[in-house]
Amino acid sequence: MTNYKYCLTVFILILSIHFGYGQNVVRYDLTVTDTIVNFSDKEKRAIAVNGQIPMPTLTFTEGDIAEIVVHNKLKEGTSLHWHGVYLPNKEDGVPFLTQMPIAPNTTHTYRFPIIQNGTHWYHSHSGLQEQIGMYGSLILKKKETDPTFREGIDDLPTVPIILSEWTDIKPENVHRMLHNANDWGGIKKGTVQSYSEAIKAGHFKTKLENEWKRMLAMDVSDVYYDKFLINGKNESQLSQFKAGDKVRLRLANGGASSYFWLSYAGGKMTVVANDGNDVEPVEVDRLIIGVSETYDVVVSIPQEDTAYEFLATPEDRTKSASIYLGNGTIQLKSRMPKLKYFEGMEMMNGMMNMDGSMDDMGMDMSLQKMDMNTVMYPEVTGSGDVKMDDKMDHENHSMKADADLVTLNYGMLKAPHSTTLPKDAPVRELRFELTGNMNRYVWSMDNKVLSETDKILIKKGENVRIILYNGSMMRHPMHLHGHDFRVLNGQGEYAPLKNVLDIMPMETDTIEFQANAEGDWFFHCHILYHMMAGMNRVFSYEQQAPNPYLPNKKWAYKKLQKESNKFHFMAENDFASNGNDGRAMLQNTRWSIGTEWRLGYHDDHGYESETHIGRYIGRNQWFMPFVGFDWRYRKTEGIVEKNIFGQGNTKDSRAVLSLGAEYTLPLLITLQGEVFTDGNVRFQLMREDIPISPRLRWAFMVNTDKEYMTGLKYIVTRNLGISTHYDSDMGLGFGTTINY
Amino acid sequence: MKNSINILITISVLLSFAAANAQAKNLKSESVKIFGNCAMCEKTIEKAGNLNNAAKVDWDKDTKMAIISFDTLATSKEEILKRIALAGYDSELFFAPDDTYANLPECCQYERAKKEAHNMESQKQNMTTDHSQHGSMAQENQNKNPLAGVFEHYFSVKDALVSTDGSLASDKAEILLKSVTEVEMDKLSMEVHMAWMKVLKDLKTDIGNIAATKDVDKQRVYFKSLSKDMFEVLKVSKSEKPVYYQFCPMADSGKGANWLSLEEDIKNPYYGSQMLSCGKTVETIK
Repeated sequence: MTNYKYCLTVFILILSIHFGYGQNVVRYDLTVTDTIVNFSDKEKRAIAVNGQIPMPTLTFTEGDIAEIVVHNKLKEGTSLHWHGVYLPNKEDGVPFLTQMPIAPNTTHTYRFPIIQNGTHWYHSHSGLQEQIGMYGSLILKKKETDPTFREGIDDLPTVPIILSEWTDIKPENVHRMLHNANDWGGIKKGTVQSYSEAIKAGHFKTKLENEWKRMLAMDVSDVYYDKFLINGKNESQLSQFKAGDKVRLRLANGGASSYFWLSYAGGKMTVVANDGNDVEPVEVDRLIIGVSETYDVVVSIPQEDTAYEFLATPEDRTKSASIYLGNGTIQLKSRMPKLKYFEGMEMMNGMMNMDGSMDDMGMDMSLQKMDMNTVMYPEVTGSGDVKMDDKMDHENHSMKADADLVTLNYGMLKAPHSTTLPKDAPVRELRFELTGNMNRYVWSMDNKVLSETDKILIKKGENVRIILYNGSMMRHPMHLHGHDFRVLNGQGEYAPLKNVLDIMPMETDTIEFQANAEGDWFFHCHILYHMMAGMNRVFSYEQQAPNPYLPNKKWAYKKLQKESNKFHFMAENDFASNGNDGRAMLQNTRWSIGTEWRLGYHDDHGYESETHIGRYIGRNQWFMPFVGFDWRYRKTEGIVEKNIFGQGNTKDSRAVLSLGAEYTLPLLITLQGEVFTDGNVRFQLMREDIPISPRLRWAFMVNTDKEYMTGLKYIVTRNLGISTHYDSDMGLGFGTTINY
Repeated sequence: MKNSINILITISVLLSFAAANAQAKNLKSESVKIFGNCAMCEKTIEKAGNLNNAAKVDWDKDTKMAIISFDTLATSKEEILKRIALAGYDSELFFAPDDTYANLPECCQYERAKKEAHNMESQKQNMTTDHSQHGSMAQENQNKNPLAGVFEHYFSVKDALVSTDGSLASDKAEILLKSVTEVEMDKLSMEVHMAWMKVLKDLKTDIGNIAATKDVDKQRVYFKSLSKDMFEVLKVSKSEKPVYYQFCPMADSGKGANWLSLEEDIKNPYYGSQMLSCGKTVETIK
């Protein structure tokens, strides 16, 4: 009994240390509750753990036994995943894969031995809970007696830092809007890349070619965020540090979808670890931290009475978050200049084939070494608008200095010890192409989402080698649960160990790991909205022992598959002076159920609706065959209208079934062909949402029934627009468009 | 119809009145010191600090004092001074980023509030970058390989193209041309001599063309064939330091082009800063 020692800390958080057989049991109690936060002058729902966002920092030392007791006070299920940690599969925290969700008002205990050290983090793996507060730092300390203990690095004062972002829009709604290619986020960010902006920037041809190749506006990130946060704050200060101090920042990117550029006003940063694994120290001016990656960097405080800004800038550079190290006047770091989107678009045009695949033009790209996004960086390429001639020289000068910035890439990471895998083990080689469709926000691997694939079986003892090629237009932070993999980066036997691999468009990277921990392990893109769109796989060990937390694995896997292929709803209606014009759609990865209507205010104008149920075919989803149902009523006293094929039709009262197909033509024009049960045939060309200016959209439609429509819409808010259109049936109208 | 327009006008007038009214309430004024020099500084400082309906800055270039008046509900002194510092001007709360300060027009290079040591450091940095720029010119050790000078000056032309500096490239080409004519051919080995003679005429034409224009785009056209010829020579003559033969498939409107470099890192002379890292090493000559 004397061996017991209790230690009470903050009110709910009880931490008990237990000296049993030389192993400490370190216990944390975590209470998950709904809360209201105010990050942007608006009160919104979020989730807090022990009353705080981010979740409390959990600290263990290698050799401890972690015991984390989760009390779920939410009205929904939850879970906690220990990101980057080696642990028994049943403790991994993926609902429906390694456990059942922690039900409302129940308690679940995670218990596992800590057999590694390094900077990690933890987060909810249930739905989109991570976006609204469920992320926190997880620090596994190295023992001082560890043979790999590095003096001057591992003995420095450390600060856990977790980066994140906040949006006032409910994440479920963000996800839905992404699937509907709603460009409200682009309007807020100023990245619509409309024709008027293109003309102003002298890039009309670029924009036209871009649309010719069927691409929507390109961006480096998908979501508009109201605030970016470091440890839950946009700005904060650590005033305990003095001149001459060195500080080790244990950085984790807990953002749901933001990559962050990191830079420091007090000089260079020394990278000493990545994803919880030590690396040979390397000095850099800046680095980008992918979603869910961790980096340890050492910075110093050069001067007295000065605090130095550590700046985190999201990749789209819309805003930033800062933490000031030191005490006194704050030395700021210059902000990263705005991206030059049209330069990026021009580069993308050059790389995009007409069939929607990408062409790397023979450059073997890998390991973040050749960042094609550089064309958009004014700090490297010079500012976009050169005004005065006498200023020219000056700009050239600073431009040159900036081109010498040292930016970290994966090729520069080197493990301090050999990381080779057992040589005599059988090798299993797997290849994946990361695939995506920005227009419909479908993200997949080999053009298959999780719901379309079985688990991938591997054997214990194998060396698994994975070759990844990113054939999509966005970068993806691919994360493997339960294992660290070697990134084959040219450092030979000192290849660094990681558990997240950021892979940029057109890059090919090879990773390998020893299959040494049985169970079902998730392998997925850590951009939350990509994961929820189905960009996932499961590695499953053959002949594994049953999981006590998940008796019916088959059923559970079906549940998991379903979660990542949900139907998304959208609807809009134009309340115009000449009638109502609208549509509603329900869509998932492959299927689309949509209906359109035109309802006049009196019988002469008529009432009409068209419903289509179709399936998208192919990787780019440009082709969609469908079955349809048309209904129409109009009072025209029997005037027979003829289409251009000479087929007659009064259209006064009509209810027909149809068979047809839709195809997306260059310039994103939809061609629709339809055969109706009454023998009539109709072809139609249509495009909505042509971006004329940031907020102005042009739409047109013309078909072989000699019907046509053209209209303009001005987007006022996320759900509201002002519109005018001319319709061959209903004439000229003005109205208000409401969309969901 | 007329009615509704009238109503609309009334509403908007009322609204704007209400908005203006609400704004006046939580106003606060403070006097703060902001470092700066001249009338141009005044313009930049005030523009950076002002915020529609929420903050107004009035800076005096003689006293270096600013009156800042702001709506306490909408913003704060810290926010205003931070914006001003990010535009390049120190205050009691914030030091401007060094690169932003360095980019201010010359007349605005005020004496900084920061400690000297810090300024020294940034100056030192400038010095070292200056040095590296002129470094290749200073070293004129021609005693080893008789072609060493040619290669060296080729690299300075390449560097000028990397920084998209047409007039510098033209000057460097002039020097290169001189060194080409001064090569002591009797000291070349048989093989190298053969290779040299084969390309010499084209080499001179290309270099002459580069020297004759300051248009970077034209220079890059000649630089492509120049690089190819240089590679042919270097392949035979070899080099003490490793030289990297690099290739950018996007150069010359997608036809691709090569160049030689002393660094393994890609610094593309065909796009310069525009697509600095485009390309890869196709051969290493040692």
